[in-house]
Amino acid sequence: MVSTVQNTDVKQKESDHAVVVAVASRAVFEPEAQGGDNVYAEGVAFPLLQALQKVNERLLEENSAESLLFDIVLITTDSQQQQQSSHLISSTKHYGLEVSRFCFSTEEDFIESLLQNNVQLFLSTDRNEVSQTSQKGVLSALLDEYTTSCPSEQLRVLFCGDAVIRPDTNPTPASRQAAQSFSAQLGKMRQRFGMSDSPLSIVLMTSCGGRDSCGGALRTLRSLGISVDEAYCLAGSPRGPILSVLRPHFVLSDCFSGLED
Amino acid sequence: MVKMSLDPVQVMSGQVTELKVAPSSNGDSRGSWEEKEEFDQDHLGLTAKPKPVTGRRARKVEGGVFFPKPENAVTIAVSSRVLFRTEREQKVFEQKGVEEYLRYQIEHENEPFAPGPAFPFVKALEAVNSRLRELYPQSEELFDIVLVTYNHAHVGIRLINTINHHNLFIERFCMTGGSSPIGYLKAWHTNLYLSADADKVREALAEGIAAATMFMPEKLTEVSQSQLRVAFDGDAVLFSDESERIFKAHGLDKFFEHERENEDTLLDHGPLKGFLEALGKLQKKFYAKGHRLDCPIRTFLVTARSAASSGIRALKTLRAWGLEIDEALFLAGAPKGPMLEKIRPHIYFDDQMFHVEGAAEMGTIAAHVPYGIAQKHNAKQNTGVRK
Repeated sequence: MVSTVQNTDVKQKESDHAVVVAVASRAVFEPEAQGGDNVYAEGVAFPLLQALQKVNERLLEENSAESLLFDIVLITTDSQQQQQSSHLISSTKHYGLEVSRFCFSTEEDFIESLLQNNVQLFLSTDRNEVSQTSQKGVLSALLDEYTTSCPSEQLRVLFCGDAVIRPDTNPTPASRQAAQSFSAQLGKMRQRFGMSDSPLSIVLMTSCGGRDSCGGALRTLRSLGISVDEAYCLAGSPRGPILSVLRPHFVLSDCFSGLED
Repeated sequence: MVKMSLDPVQVMSGQVTELKVAPSSNGDSRGSWEEKEEFDQDHLGLTAKPKPVTGRRARKVEGGVFFPKPENAVTIAVSSRVLFRTEREQKVFEQKGVEEYLRYQIEHENEPFAPGPAFPFVKALEAVNSRLRELYPQSEELFDIVLVTYNHAHVGIRLINTINHHNLFIERFCMTGGSSPIGYLKAWHTNLYLSADADKVREALAEGIAAATMFMPEKLTEVSQSQLRVAFDGDAVLFSDESERIFKAHGLDKFFEHERENEDTLLDHGPLKGFLEALGKLQKKFYAKGHRLDCPIRTFLVTARSAASSGIRALKTLRAWGLEIDEALFLAGAPKGPMLEKIRPHIYFDDQMFHVEGAAEMGTIAAHVPYGIAQKHNAKQNTGVRK
């Protein structure tokens, strides 16, 4: 059973033009810890939410009638958290998070709730959840330990050019399509800002191939209308040290599989 | 009896590789000496005509390590402004701002940049790598050249096209789009960072990374294609600036006195000691295979110290550190330019702009190490020569 609650504190976005991003509430708030007044403590995805909000803020600064905005939805499958749904909602309001809706569902039908809400990107700390949703054609990315130390004033999205981040899953044509359309939206958003001082930074990284592999990925992204701000070609050097300097909020890899030689 | 497919002469000498310099034995055309004509032309022209990118020669990769682990390799990070000539583009940036600059770069994407001051040095590093791969095909102890630029990724395709055009072996790069590259230098275990930006270089030095600012000389003397030649100043480059401080504060006599009294006390290390050490390790690999006389790496100390007096302390320090420097030139205060013109290093490191400029005037590519007490005096001597 899926139920959706609107956040009355936040203006709802135009569903046709907004980019719906669903985040697992488990990632946004610490389910165990509680501050006073039944307010949850901040979770690992907190800086991510703040960064998404920052992008919206700046988009509206550029154009107060802007409709290409992030539409943030919190998804809860955890039955315990569902019982405390009022805490979830009050915590969200307490922090002034720009969450439009809360979706509560069971683990079986949460994918249904994603599709119902026209979710274009699903983010979670749960590897299984991400794998499942990805198989069903919803663009998904895993939030990991790096996420918590990401900046909150700039959204940093990493495109992995040689799709090695998740070698176990083979993206379906549907998820590749989802990846491309989300990326194109992101590219459009990026165009609203200048070269410097952008609240959104699009980063490309290729892990294994040499420079031509990275050059190819740059061209592919350009053909999708995405201009990349930063590019890193690792050619086999370890990812960890570079990622910890890069600090992307999340990583997308489905755009490229099947497109490279 | 074992049937050998080797030439009996080679078997007797115990070596399979040839001693003379030849195109690299791993089958690819990279590092072939036919390129010599191509980039000599680029050197002589100050405003190189942009050439369209021709079909890139295929790079076959056979034998030898091509993607060494950063901690095993000697990582040299170069910025785009020192590897290539980008003055025209710099002007667009300064006069018209970043958006116009990036538009210009994309418009000229298929025009490769001309070689910059670090280009001959990088070519020489590749020549050494070819020899190392022949002798030690499984080893990761090689030079690894990484392009580290705070350029925007919009310039990426042009940079890749340029690397392809010049057939450079640079497979790793970092385009940070404006943020500081220092974190990436550390992540890549950088042994030496070369940039046109003195602030970035100072930042790197402060983090313990050997770094220097490079300038394009007006004329360029020809340098060796087969042997990497690196020259270092002594004080505040290989050694700390402690002696220079004495000289600046108390004059030459006090300096000599101090050096004599402390002859047996080791000098403290300077920012480029580690890089000399890394070069020494690679040299030993050539010596181990009987290539001492034709070692493709040669190091030089070019110091204002005097052989008979203050130089002794420098030599003792080097010896105590276990560092062999091939040639030590004690100039006793004489100008360095003419000596460097004879040595023809691919790069010369000095902490004083006065010497860097003097070297450049005579066609030597010199790099400034902004370290130590001499920096406070730079303002008077710096004529702002920056090509």
